[in-house]
Amino acid sequence: MSSGMWAEKYRPKTLDEIVNQKEIVSRLKNFVQEKNLPHLLLVGPAGVGKTTSILALARDLYGPGYRNFTLELNASDERGIDVIRDKVKNFARTAAIASPVSFKILIMDEADSLTSAAQHALRRTMEIYTRTCRFCLIGNYSENIIDPIQSRCSIFRYGPLDESDAKGWIMYIAKNEGVEVLDEGLEALYQASGGDLRKATNLLQAAAATRSAIDDVSVYEVLGKVSPERVRAMIQTSLDGNFLEAREILRDLLIVQGLAPDDIIRMTYSELMKHTVISEEWKVKLSDAVGEVDFRLTQGARPEIQLSTLLAHLALAGEKMK
Amino acid sequence: MSTDQPWSHRYRPESKEDIQGNGEAVDKLEAWLRSWEKGPPKKRAAFIYGPPGIGKTATVQALAAELSFDLMEVNASDSRSKNQIEELIGKTAGQTVNVFGQRRMLLLDEMEGVDGQRDRGGITAIADLIKTTMSPVVLVATTIGENMEEKFRSLLDKAVLIEFQPIPSYEVVERLERIARENGVTVHPEALETLAVKSQGDLRSAINDLEAVARGKTRVEPEDIEWMGERDRQDYTPNIINRIFSARSLWEARQTISQSMIPYEDLFDWIYENLPYIVDDPGERLEALSVLAKADIYQNRARSTDYRLLKYMFNLMTGGVAFTKKVSKGLGLMKQVQQAVLRSGLPLSNFQTSETREGVLVNPVRWLGRDKWGELNGAIRSVGGRWVYGQNVWLVPYLREPQNKWRYITTYNDRRKTREVAAKLAQRTHTSTQEAVTETLPLLRIIYRSGQEAADEIDAWLDLEDKEREFLGS
Repeated sequence: MSSGMWAEKYRPKTLDEIVNQKEIVSRLKNFVQEKNLPHLLLVGPAGVGKTTSILALARDLYGPGYRNFTLELNASDERGIDVIRDKVKNFARTAAIASPVSFKILIMDEADSLTSAAQHALRRTMEIYTRTCRFCLIGNYSENIIDPIQSRCSIFRYGPLDESDAKGWIMYIAKNEGVEVLDEGLEALYQASGGDLRKATNLLQAAAATRSAIDDVSVYEVLGKVSPERVRAMIQTSLDGNFLEAREILRDLLIVQGLAPDDIIRMTYSELMKHTVISEEWKVKLSDAVGEVDFRLTQGARPEIQLSTLLAHLALAGEKMK
Repeated sequence: MSTDQPWSHRYRPESKEDIQGNGEAVDKLEAWLRSWEKGPPKKRAAFIYGPPGIGKTATVQALAAELSFDLMEVNASDSRSKNQIEELIGKTAGQTVNVFGQRRMLLLDEMEGVDGQRDRGGITAIADLIKTTMSPVVLVATTIGENMEEKFRSLLDKAVLIEFQPIPSYEVVERLERIARENGVTVHPEALETLAVKSQGDLRSAINDLEAVARGKTRVEPEDIEWMGERDRQDYTPNIINRIFSARSLWEARQTISQSMIPYEDLFDWIYENLPYIVDDPGERLEALSVLAKADIYQNRARSTDYRLLKYMFNLMTGGVAFTKKVSKGLGLMKQVQQAVLRSGLPLSNFQTSETREGVLVNPVRWLGRDKWGELNGAIRSVGGRWVYGQNVWLVPYLREPQNKWRYITTYNDRRKTREVAAKLAQRTHTSTQEAVTETLPLLRIIYRSGQEAADEIDAWLDLEDKEREFLGS
């Protein structure tokens, strides 16, 4: 089988292969041994092994044909109530046939982006079909999951990875792929990914595609291509007072790269909140501005004109903070 | 050649040499036509679009003559129903040469006039034609408007997109001057410039105007053209924009809505495009954009409830925007151009920048070398400028056409392919499509383009189709 992205190639296939999150993994192994599990809610930051561990559990439990007994859905692609009514119900209500255990597993990734109506529908479905299906919900934050669902699940909290574990993983892949990673390159990969192993691995692969030895420059070069980085550049360009260029970046994101406006809003908001130079006072004003645009877009306003007012806000903030 | 013909007709280009302006676009079309010598290329149609009177149709005809094609033309005066088109398919699919051994070529002109109702099935039939044709098919549309992208969706991804732009006023002046000379008329330079600027890059209308004032004369003075002055000029969008921003009363500003020759939605886009250049003080710019964003809200409310609400939109988008301008000097453009030049890493001393009535000129004083030229061209294009062939300068106009619509059309295929590939990628990597679009796909493209081996692996891994391969590799 061809390998494509290294993040997939090196994704651990069984629970034994997972070296981190030891506590959680040992409990998941118990479920496999018992051939039974409760509904699960896995929460934690991106790229620390949530999806990996549930896929590994499924493989350990059902064997290589595990795909016949699992359904993977991503709530950020299908976040409405219809997906619960149709896909989820259809999958959940039929019993597993020719399976080592009597239930199937439904994996709902990014469950925290389900609308609350969809979550309420899900709650009923979970109850009704418990006999034939276990639900495994995955998300970044548990506070976006309604209480009744939380109370029906065993909650597993994944912590961020240790720096040494993350770096060890990067070097393990680099060694296997015959890629030379210099110290400053390793540091840059770690910093840029913030402990997100998928991101780190993708960056490593892209950097390795263009350079034979990876240093910090080659990492930042490829990092500059991903959208969150472009959003950051748009914000910085606005703060520097160059509204016109910032607007061109906005257009590039919206039109050429085809980003959804609410993704731009989400990324902009999170960048602003963790920005170190913007004063606290301006953070409040700017969050009001972001919120206003966010609301207006839900009401059907046109994205580019609304988002560009945000850039003008930032340009003014930059001017006033000088 | 008969001298009774209107000048705009008589001086139509007959060969590539004669074509005024749009060098890049003309080259692109020629290269595509020449590629047919080796059999049908991947895209069997070219879609040419741009404002009126700048030589779109004339270019197709001139190139057809130069490359010895037998040109079959269909325009809006012909019906373009499904049957009609299918009849043409018969001709182009069957025989690729006429009885004289000339290769055939099909021109579908005035595409904007294809009537969705009466020419039922026409677009679909054209799309089918493009798939199977053994002869080049050229589609020409004058300025793609509001619903055009929607309408032509099924054609755009099958065609090479070629944009024609307004002819810069120097080139218009040059051409007018030559025509006048050939007719034994001396035209005062100032009069020539007025005619050229008035035409807003529409060469055909400029030649018509010249003929109107010059026929039967030996000299044309500036006063001779004063009488045509405000006649049609008041409707040109750049003038409307100027009038909005210099209005002293709301009434004056509001009036422009009915004077404009383009619909208010398009005028809105023009205002949005140009506002940040004109209102360049950060505080005022925020205020002006906020007012315009509010106008957008009223438009939305009007659409969903009652069109009476449009009047509030009109007030906001004209007077509301204009009156925010108090300390702004509108120096944005020159500064912007200079920054763009600096960003390319070349010192400003390599260039002369100057201002004309139309915009800022950037004139490289020495040969830059191909790479530097390309970089700089990119930088200047990003501020709305373009290279003027033959004059060897860049022109960045003060008032520019809304860029978003053009960009939207020219990147349509990329956007669709992005969604397709991202959906596959999302499934393969257990992530959402959005994450695939924003995080993974940009990196996947780098990897894909790094070499054949990597490309093949990804190809097999994602089970790519031809078009997706092409998209990732480009």
